[in-house]
Amino acid sequence: MIRKTLFAAIGVAALGLAGMSANAEEFPSKSVDYVIPFGPGGESDITARFQQSFFKDKFGQELVVSYKPGGGGAVGWSQLNSMAGDGHSIMGINLPHIIVKPRQGDVGFQTDDITAVYMFHYTPDAIVVNADSDLKSLQDLIDYAKAYPKQLTFSGSGKGTANHLAQIIFDQKAGIETTYVAFKGTGASVTALLGNQVSAQWGYTTVGAKQGDKVRLLAVAMEERHPAFPDVPTFKELGFDMVSGAYRGIAVPSSTPEDIRQKLSGMIAEINADPAFQKQMLEGGFAMMDIGYGADLDAWMAARTEDYVAAAKSAGIID
Amino acid sequence: MFEYVLSAFTPLNIALALAGVAAGTIIGSIPGLTATMAVAVLVPITFSMPADSALILMGAIYTGAIYGGAYAAILLNTPGTPSAIATTFDGYPMARRGDGDLAVSVACLSSVVGGIVGAIALLLLAPPLAEAALAFGPVEYFWLAIFGLSLIAALSTGDFLKGVIAACFGLLISMIGISETSAEVRFTFGSQTLLGGIEIVSALIGLYCIPVLIDLVATPARHLEMPEKGRGFRLPEAFGKLMLNKFNVLRSSVIGTLVGALPGAGGSIAGLVAYSEARRTGKGDEKYGEGNPGGIVATESANNATVGGGFIPTLVLGIPGTPPDAVILGALLVQGVKTGPTLFAEGANIVYTFIFGLLLATILMLPVGLMIGRFAYGAIVRSPKAVLVPVVAFMTVIGTFAIRNSISDIAIMVVLGIIGWIATKRGFSVSPIVLGLILGRIAEQGFVQGWTIGDAVGNLWGQFFGRPLSLVIIAMTLVSFLYPFLPQIKRLVMRSNPNPVIERDPAPMSAVLRDGISFLIFGAVALVVVVESASLNPDAAVFPRTIAMGMLVFVAAALIKLVLTRDVIEETAEGSVVRRIAVPTIMLGGVALISTLGFGVAGLLMGVALMFVAQHGRASPQFWLTLTAGVVITILVFTFGFRNLLAVPLPAGWFL
Repeated sequence: MIRKTLFAAIGVAALGLAGMSANAEEFPSKSVDYVIPFGPGGESDITARFQQSFFKDKFGQELVVSYKPGGGGAVGWSQLNSMAGDGHSIMGINLPHIIVKPRQGDVGFQTDDITAVYMFHYTPDAIVVNADSDLKSLQDLIDYAKAYPKQLTFSGSGKGTANHLAQIIFDQKAGIETTYVAFKGTGASVTALLGNQVSAQWGYTTVGAKQGDKVRLLAVAMEERHPAFPDVPTFKELGFDMVSGAYRGIAVPSSTPEDIRQKLSGMIAEINADPAFQKQMLEGGFAMMDIGYGADLDAWMAARTEDYVAAAKSAGIID
Repeated sequence: MFEYVLSAFTPLNIALALAGVAAGTIIGSIPGLTATMAVAVLVPITFSMPADSALILMGAIYTGAIYGGAYAAILLNTPGTPSAIATTFDGYPMARRGDGDLAVSVACLSSVVGGIVGAIALLLLAPPLAEAALAFGPVEYFWLAIFGLSLIAALSTGDFLKGVIAACFGLLISMIGISETSAEVRFTFGSQTLLGGIEIVSALIGLYCIPVLIDLVATPARHLEMPEKGRGFRLPEAFGKLMLNKFNVLRSSVIGTLVGALPGAGGSIAGLVAYSEARRTGKGDEKYGEGNPGGIVATESANNATVGGGFIPTLVLGIPGTPPDAVILGALLVQGVKTGPTLFAEGANIVYTFIFGLLLATILMLPVGLMIGRFAYGAIVRSPKAVLVPVVAFMTVIGTFAIRNSISDIAIMVVLGIIGWIATKRGFSVSPIVLGLILGRIAEQGFVQGWTIGDAVGNLWGQFFGRPLSLVIIAMTLVSFLYPFLPQIKRLVMRSNPNPVIERDPAPMSAVLRDGISFLIFGAVALVVVVESASLNPDAAVFPRTIAMGMLVFVAAALIKLVLTRDVIEETAEGSVVRRIAVPTIMLGGVALISTLGFGVAGLLMGVALMFVAQHGRASPQFWLTLTAGVVITILVFTFGFRNLLAVPLPAGWFL
């Protein structure tokens, strides 16, 4: 027993040393820990699980998904930079969370503390109503909201989140006043919609994919229609310039070397390029995006930051 | 239907169900290792399996883990999973008096019955029950939480006011961190450790288990009474207790199924509600809370019924009923199985195969559970304290870490343990604190959401008091709150005996002073909350401020009562004070060393130190050697198991 223990201990120590001297060629030399800063079952978890099986097939190592929930992601992100920077520890990131949260108060991290290496998909914002709702179109909803100010209630996931910002921005663009009710996660927000506790939901295209005939999407916030919902118009088509959603990607601790960051970015891109992966994602209602490590990602992040900060300021979520 | 039974009962599926139940039971028995985590670890393994086998394996693990939570609840007064909280109320007193084996067997039988009822409901009633669950809106969740709080009256040991104050304290600490409904940072006092709030499972471990450890080292007396030889499983006796509780077990199973079907409630609430009902209508020789097997029957049948119940919204609506269901939902999506409205229509094969697999796993739990239960009982009863204390302490530390891979959670756990110990000695039992902690967030979310909706449609009163379902829950709450006071109310109405309360002698001045100080401390906590709330936005402030105001009123009432009656309920602490203080001190010391020395080394140092603290009297060198070897090996096995089998990223530090 003791002997075995000793060998195992030496093995672990050796692995530790290997980790320290890791370079991009050998990476990944062991399983990669993929921390999701939320609980299981949400969009972040499900897409990580989708990636999990492809990662193993392509790169021969396990991608181990674990959860570090708390504070709407803040618990995980505030600890990102204390994790080992050898590429074997990565963490999921979500926009607008990482931009809005640190500006709402001291949540233990700043947006700049997060080293993003890839943004791989987003869930476009969408207005969802029950299938038997009287609101048949976006225009119906706007008419109702104009006739009964504040009385139209939207469920959504959290405050200062993609759903909440979408509600605020759309209210401004459509010149209406509605009420936003924050729930804990998309699941609870959908439950409230299905149970007719609210008039409509600010959700994502994924809600439509999951609930099928039970619900109707009134509009989606994409450049073009989602392939899974060819009949649902975009906000743009209806005259509202709104392309938004919750964007998800992967970040590494700031101590991770440059070449490993690039290699990781390439690996995620490779999974994203796999037609089988894309099919799974699109059927689930997700929308693909590919922004890899480097100047592109920096520019994109800067542009999003500007947008979100402006929106959150005008909504009074941040000062 | 029969072809689904055949496809469920293939040799592979039977083997998976058996392995799943066994693994789940063991995992669930370790405080901190929850069903959620057990299922999450398994997900990658299931990718290479057919979807129905994968589901059966995950369902079996889940069922086993919920039952396994009973062991630690009964034998160590520590709910292994939140679902087993109410199991401690009667399970631990039974174990203390030497009936731990009977309690474990009763728990096993009840879990099997509850599991079967839940699975049958899933088989036959899933779509209508899912629709019914949707009628539960924010306001109903708020009232359900208040109903749960009505248990305070029953759980406060002797002093109702102390129970209420403790519950308020629990409610307030559940508000720490970033608020879910308003995204505001509350009551963290600038500390980033508190940002994520108090994690419930680690709080349970701290509040229930640490006080047991602290008291365990103080005296040389045995932890649990030794059983007579050759009693076996005491199965006939356990079966007799179950028959005595046949209405209880059925009612609790139904409660468990229904509460399980509510997304957002879960096993802990199901167990508490079932316990509350069982206690109210309770029969039997022993009183509830002092070792009546009926309490175990209620909780364990209810929490296992939530497994089947929780799958109802998961499979029918695509909305997870409980956290483990959320993980299973994710795994199913990867498998290409679409849950939600279309599943029962299009994917009927997999659904029915799975339900029969779940039934099979539940039935297999009977032999597997009895056997593992017997082993767990034997191990805990026979272990000398010098092994039990370090091993259990290490388990609480590693288990707490594993919940969300956080070292600060361990420190919070130990600190809550100290608070729990002091509170217990002062007559504020920890159960009301736990009740507040669990129900606080549910109550607040429901309240704020209900308020927002009611305000928007201009009908606040109708929102809170006009919905039929709410009225039913409010009525149940009133009955449950008032029931324990029925004798007093009767006497008041009859006016037969103006002063019927058994008079205790006025307590000595020192005890009155101790009580006074503890009330003032709770009062100070409430004041801090009131002051802090002033700088929060209204959504974030309304709930904690209301609770804190109420708490101040209760504290004032308690102080007045104290001065007038000099009636003090407290527990005395016998034995070594130094050893007592040593337990949390060593544990906190171990926590501080983790990041530099690594989890294994820090754990070993902590374990060996606690071994010396727990050992009373002289012992031979040989005894010490076996003792040390036992503790060291167990800690190493746990460290490697967690790190390599469960993939928990334990900090390695320099060496281990």
